Amino acid sequence: MSQIGIIIEREFNERVRKKSFIITTLLMPLLVVALMVAPSLVMIFATGDTRHVAVIDHSGVIAPSLESGSEVVFEPTDLSVDDARKNLTDIFGVLEIGPDILSNPNDVKLYTNTSSSMLVEDNIRSQIADIIEREKLKKYDIHNLPEILKEVETTVSIQTFRNDGEGDSEAQSSVISTGIGFVLGMVLYMFLIIYGGMVMQSVIEEKNSRVLEVMVSSVKPFDMMMGKILGVAAVAAVQVLIWGVLICGVSALAMPALIPSDIMQNVEAMQQGTLNMAQTDMDMDMLRAIGTATDFGYLATIFVWLLLFIIGGYLLYSALFAAIGSSVDSVQDAQQLQTPVMMPIIFSIIIMMTILNDPNSTLAVWCSYIPFTSPVVMMARIPSGVPVWQIVVSLAILYATFVAAVWFAAKIYRVGIFMYGKKPSFKELWKWVRYKY
Amino acid sequence: MDLLTVEHVSKHFAQHTALDDVSLSIPQGSIYGLLGPNGAGKTTLIRIINRITAPDSGRVIFDGHEIAPADIFNIGYLPEERGLYKKMKVGEQALFFARLKGLSRREATVRLKEWFVRFGIQEWWNKKVEELSKGMAQKVQFIVTVLHEPRLLIFDEPFSGFDPINANLLKEEIMALRDKGATVIFSTHNMSSVEEICDNITLINKSHNILSGPVDEIRRRHGDNLFRIEYLGDEEALRRRLEGQCEVLADTGEEPGRYRTLKIHIADNDVRSVIAAVNDTVELRSFTEIIPGMNDIFIRAVNGSLK
Repeated sequence: MSQIGIIIEREFNERVRKKSFIITTLLMPLLVVALMVAPSLVMIFATGDTRHVAVIDHSGVIAPSLESGSEVVFEPTDLSVDDARKNLTDIFGVLEIGPDILSNPNDVKLYTNTSSSMLVEDNIRSQIADIIEREKLKKYDIHNLPEILKEVETTVSIQTFRNDGEGDSEAQSSVISTGIGFVLGMVLYMFLIIYGGMVMQSVIEEKNSRVLEVMVSSVKPFDMMMGKILGVAAVAAVQVLIWGVLICGVSALAMPALIPSDIMQNVEAMQQGTLNMAQTDMDMDMLRAIGTATDFGYLATIFVWLLLFIIGGYLLYSALFAAIGSSVDSVQDAQQLQTPVMMPIIFSIIIMMTILNDPNSTLAVWCSYIPFTSPVVMMARIPSGVPVWQIVVSLAILYATFVAAVWFAAKIYRVGIFMYGKKPSFKELWKWVRYKY
Repeated sequence: MDLLTVEHVSKHFAQHTALDDVSLSIPQGSIYGLLGPNGAGKTTLIRIINRITAPDSGRVIFDGHEIAPADIFNIGYLPEERGLYKKMKVGEQALFFARLKGLSRREATVRLKEWFVRFGIQEWWNKKVEELSKGMAQKVQFIVTVLHEPRLLIFDEPFSGFDPINANLLKEEIMALRDKGATVIFSTHNMSSVEEICDNITLINKSHNILSGPVDEIRRRHGDNLFRIEYLGDEEALRRRLEGQCEVLADTGEEPGRYRTLKIHIADNDVRSVIAAVNDTVELRSFTEIIPGMNDIFIRAVNGSLK
């Protein structure tokens, strides 16, 4: 086996056998699922509380029409405001409605015993607005008003079809694809920082422990550096593959089995474009979300791109991180030198939110060609649909830049591993690049 | 037959010259001491021999040909600054380094087991390096250096971190390797070990080769014609007898073994007549040339006071 192969093998084995690797690899998908499920769980439990609000209605119009629900229970009272505030301290609060509420809709006061709640305020605001609206309409004396109101009430939902060039179009939920884009962008960001940092730290360790001094007589510095970078890359690839298999498997196999079959039938009908919208009472957004989340082909394609961008982005950045690691003696010393390397990664995370809102803006397209931002930005865009040629061009630029970065990093590495003591400046690093050996 | 020849090697760095026209030849099957003060250029020379850096000019001939990448499999190098992966198990780590030197996994395992038995460290195989003491780690490093049975071994301060017992064990192993045909380059500041085990030396100072040759010859050549006489008899008579023939430097006093000693300087090398004169006057027990130690020669050579 070639020397570089032996080094790759060592780097890979050392990391994959670690307990921390096994734990994160298996727990991460669970964590992602938990993060996705948690908000709805919180919603369910948060609404469990029922708040009691005493109502003092000086107008006499509002109180009879207020509807109590599971969140807020309205209790009309004859007490004066002062008495109510003094005596009713064990309820959520007291609502006072002004006498001319119809002409002065701002004359509403809520006295609370604890801190107020958005939920309660929203409930009160929208109910009062509705009641006032209805009262005002009543003045026009329209015949059959309730029936007319019911008749004109409309909700609109959009079915999105992406034209993928073969005349074959499929519906995707843009909510879900934006969500996936966000998650993928974050995953890329984490991989670049964590795995890049891992390479840097491990180079510093080898230098500090003087293992490099022993190795350098048997292995060329370039092979040493590449062996480490590729060994860690293999670890990253294995981790992504495991996650891909787990998530695709859960989504495509487990979820359809768990979701009630009548919903799945509707989802399938919608995906085939045969769903009769008038005949279903299901929420279109939910159907589309489920459709996207259980679309195996869609998820698998995304994972292939994810793998390519994670590896490409990692290779580019880890070469730079390896160069930094070789030129310093401690992680603390590395901080100043790694700032310029970290900047583009952090920049891409900052602009990611803008890009998610408009995945095909000029900024988004440019940033997905620039190799230092392309991994994060492109991955955030891909779930919303990016032409394949754009992805291929972006990958080509990324991998070409990696080759250049390795050449550059190897020069610094060669010199850096024998330099102890003083932390080099950027000027000195540039001098090292031009050293001849 | 020289295994390794360094011909007119020079190496310049940005700020200073590390080696300036250094030449030396290392005979096959000998232990060659590479000496010199800190910063003299020894490490640079060793790195050039190891092909870690390339010389600006000059060449290195290994076994009759200019040294090539494949030759690193015939070299074992134990650097002065050396370390092991702390979190890795000893056996696995030794295998890793052995395979980097071109041994197959199976071959390396067999040889490693042999060495571990010889050093009595079999039970370390599954220990992590961080559990070992410094001296223990040094033993493992020594094994890793010699395991692939290279023709040229380079040891930079091999005894640092060893207690006297283990240092002696190591010394014997190095000499045994030489006796089996290996050529050894030995870089150290410990001059008594140089006298003990080196056949030849080169002394590098300020990037120049200032002294080269067989250890015995160098020591003899730099002797100051000083001799020590051990005798039984009358000191006054002996002093009178030697007057005019040689310079009597000191009476080194009564030795515990009741012999008297005298240190003399013989200027014109007429040793035989001095011996005859001593023999006439007192009962001569021994007559020895005082040869300077390598320590002395090293200091004088570096100071520039060596004649």
